Amino acid sequence: MPSPDLEKQFFALLAEGGAAREGAPSSMKARLYSRLIHKQQESGPLASLDASVESGHKICVFEKLVQIAPIGEPAKSPFFCQVCHARVLAEHFDNPPIYWRNCPYVRFRES
Amino acid sequence: MEAPFPVEPVQRVEDSGDERRLVAGVLAKDRKATAEFVDRCSDWLYPFLRRRLLPRSELLEDLLQEVLLAAWEGLAGFRSDASLRTWVLGIARHKVEEYYRKRLRGAETVGEDESADEVAIMPLFDQELDRAAQQDQVQKVLSNLPETYALALIWRYRDEKSVREMAELTGKTEKAMERLLARARGSFRKRWSDAQP
Repeated sequence: MPSPDLEKQFFALLAEGGAAREGAPSSMKARLYSRLIHKQQESGPLASLDASVESGHKICVFEKLVQIAPIGEPAKSPFFCQVCHARVLAEHFDNPPIYWRNCPYVRFRES
Repeated sequence: MEAPFPVEPVQRVEDSGDERRLVAGVLAKDRKATAEFVDRCSDWLYPFLRRRLLPRSELLEDLLQEVLLAAWEGLAGFRSDASLRTWVLGIARHKVEEYYRKRLRGAETVGEDESADEVAIMPLFDQELDRAAQQDQVQKVLSNLPETYALALIWRYRDEKSVREMAELTGKTEKAMERLLARARGSFRKRWSDAQP
């Protein structure tokens, strides 16, 4: 058994683990979000954009274009961010130059 | 660079009704709810995991992803009698333990620093370093230790796990765990004093 003093010393020294209040970097959030969405897609399509809007969420300008396009519901379910430059930038940089209103990747940067 | 229009502040009302709506949205595979879920959970999980994995921070994102996916897969079982934060951190705690357990289970000795045990006379830690410099040095020393030593020390002194719990979780005897910790402390103290100018 180590001496109580030695134990105390190690507790004091190791207790602090760096910046404990720091939030996750936005690029990490962006990558995690994309991966979770892909995981969700493995078991079927995402909820449509109409459903998101009905639940009170706001959508970005590109999603809005898809939403109002005269296409069937199934065509409104893919993960459109997959082909968006905002996603690519956000996954690689912590302060990406993207400003699209209601873009989830902008949200990660702002939070 | 200025935003061309004001970016709306992110609202974070974390009452249980709000959490229930969020969970329902994620379960319905609503992409916007999922973004909110990732945003919140990452901010809870990142400092929690970072504190327990440093200096092995390269593992952080993988473990965070593992916890997030486990949370998503188990979300249907979430009952709002505890907060979402508590629930998610519970999953993280379990995953960290699993990680420590796997790494320490096979570790008897690591083949070095056999002489660095506690009967050796080592100087006490330098009291004169300021807090930030001390933390810097702690991280440096931990990152230079054999992984099993670093993990054992972090689990015991940062996560405040008892020796008995560590022994039970890794399938070792308490005596074996004490021996591992003694070697880890000895190795830490040796490297600490070697790093002194």
